[in-house]
Amino acid sequence: MSCEHRDDVGAWVLGALPGDEHERFAAHLPGCHACRRDVAELQMVADTLPLAAPQVAPPPELKERIMATVRAEAAVLEAAGPEADAAPGAPVPAPQATPERPKEKRRRWRLPAIALRPIPAAVAAAVLIALGVGAGVLLSGGPSGKTVQAQVVAPAAPGARASLTVADDRATLKVRDFPAPPSGRVYQVWLKRPGRPPDPTTALFRVRGGDATVDVPGSMKGVDQVLVTAEPDGGSRAPTRDPIIVAQPA
Amino acid sequence: MQLVRRGDTAAFEVVYERHATAAFSLAYRMTGTRNVAEDVVQEAFLSLWRSGARYDRTRGSVRTWVLGIVHNRAIDALRRSMVHDRRRASDEGIEERLESGDRTDVEAARRDEAREVRSALAGLPPEQSRVIELAYFGGFSHSEIASMLDTPIGTVKGRMRLGLQKMRGELNGLAEAFA
Repeated sequence: MSCEHRDDVGAWVLGALPGDEHERFAAHLPGCHACRRDVAELQMVADTLPLAAPQVAPPPELKERIMATVRAEAAVLEAAGPEADAAPGAPVPAPQATPERPKEKRRRWRLPAIALRPIPAAVAAAVLIALGVGAGVLLSGGPSGKTVQAQVVAPAAPGARASLTVADDRATLKVRDFPAPPSGRVYQVWLKRPGRPPDPTTALFRVRGGDATVDVPGSMKGVDQVLVTAEPDGGSRAPTRDPIIVAQPA
Repeated sequence: MQLVRRGDTAAFEVVYERHATAAFSLAYRMTGTRNVAEDVVQEAFLSLWRSGARYDRTRGSVRTWVLGIVHNRAIDALRRSMVHDRRRASDEGIEERLESGDRTDVEAARRDEAREVRSALAGLPPEQSRVIELAYFGGFSHSEIASMLDTPIGTVKGRMRLGLQKMRGELNGLAEAFA
């Protein structure tokens, strides 16, 4: 006995299912034992494929560039104090900013006002990390406030629900019976203000077991929609996919 | 990884040293361009540095996790820059260039593993290895591959699955050990 999606498994583990099929298979997977077993078996093979690439040593300058950024960000984290290092609680997303690409002019982060121009971009990104963690800590006391149900655009997961609670200008997003993000992707929260493209947040999360609670970093002032999209690992600076959650704070 | 999560730059440097060659090799194999491969590796490792807390050891080795990020970033780069059109389909001109300092026991073991994987891939019927390589290293979707090879999508998907299953048989315990 085999599932009609049986032949999708190879393409799935190789990352070769196009967007819509990828979403469908991702939604199908949790409920299909046969496909989950096949994915587990073939994923192990796909994971060995990098070994088939001819081995080429990276240039030493690459390490120097990466370590320079890492050291600069570590210095800012240290300066931000011990809270910046504390995990904000199990379901809360890890602090994160998107990687920068110095050689390309890409859509810029909308940095908070305190990220002054003279601060190098890498350090500014790290400041954002610290702010994201701070927000998570502030909310950990248990928010009370107004809760609204969010619109969930996940046709393949009809039971999925999401709600947004806003208290003291801060928001908490809860999802229930929600599908895991597609392989290699992570959910990212965005804040949308009228007439502007969505601002990225450092709230990146995955869903295991269907439920998650996510503290949304940043002020809710002027925000008319809180969006969630499935982005590549590490997050994005602008949404690369349509929102799967749209919440309108009351 | 716990140390990386805590912002320990020395721990991060160790992770980089350990996996940079595999990461760069994969990125180079996929993009065929040194500059793009460097960008991909830089993006991937900075992403790793900034998200060390999200590494879940129950879901595979650090190497698998790192290479998974590199793979995704390389596909993004391919789709962004249309390197697809410029890169050559073969590996011509790319030779194994490990520095002598890398020739440790660990590297020797990795080379054995690499030989095993290459041999398993090369041992597949050509139509199966072709679709696997185009998908994994080329970043092409099944429909793009079907169009390139003038083959029905269902056949392409079937070849991917059959090829991977056959490789699994050939690789015996390596796949499990790698996970």
